Amino acid sequence: MVEEKKMTLAMMLFSAPFSSQYADHMCRLAEKALERGYNVEIFLYGDAVHSQMNEQRPKTFFPVGDALGGIIDKGAAVYSCEICSIARGYIKGELKDGKKDYSSTKVIDGIRFCSIFGFVEMLGRADRVLSFGGS
Amino acid sequence: MAKLVVEISHSPFGHENAYSGLFAAMGWVSIGNQATVVLRGDGVHVARKGQMDPLKEINLPPTEKQVTDILGEGGRVVADRHALETRGIEEDELINGVEVLDGDAIRRLILEEGERVLTF
Repeated sequence: MVEEKKMTLAMMLFSAPFSSQYADHMCRLAEKALERGYNVEIFLYGDAVHSQMNEQRPKTFFPVGDALGGIIDKGAAVYSCEICSIARGYIKGELKDGKKDYSSTKVIDGIRFCSIFGFVEMLGRADRVLSFGGS
Repeated sequence: MAKLVVEISHSPFGHENAYSGLFAAMGWVSIGNQATVVLRGDGVHVARKGQMDPLKEINLPPTEKQVTDILGEGGRVVADRHALETRGIEEDELINGVEVLDGDAIRRLILEEGERVLTF
């Protein structure tokens, strides 16, 4: 019996959390896609990297940080733009023992960092691409 | 070649959107893929030639270099004719190699080449 190949869904988020609902929509859709058996890969780009901040405490808004953590726990790969994260103070990204230093106390567990070329590779792997918050 | 359409509807300098979209397109074409950048609305300002280098003044790059680099790698950059007209921008004010298309042609392009579409 031939096993059916899982579809891969790539999602790009470009907006910060709370100032709009793009992050909420993306997280909810990612959760549904995971339930339906998709591989889900997410790229946080520009101000969207603020979604990765830990200890978010929105009083009434959708808790994007918790949602992202939940999606990661369910198997999604969440990548964050390295240069955007360095610019906003989340990581240093400097070389340490020959490797990039991505250690951070400010970011939720499970976030991975990559350059724009990592995102381009993600686009190449994807069967479907969805873009949130760019316009 | 895998195809990507990058839609940009923000002008450069005021927002990060245009740069981010152009970076994504450049990364895509640099590994041998096909990218088309579609400039709509205020995004058409991205394609104006003769931009000064404002890096020293406001720490932002001119999009003219990014557009030229994408064209040099074989990518396409198209600007919406109606958006140009409403902003009083003539075709000869655009960077060499930028194509001007009307709305119907752009919609057809997105349907035909939009295997992957990113909006900025």
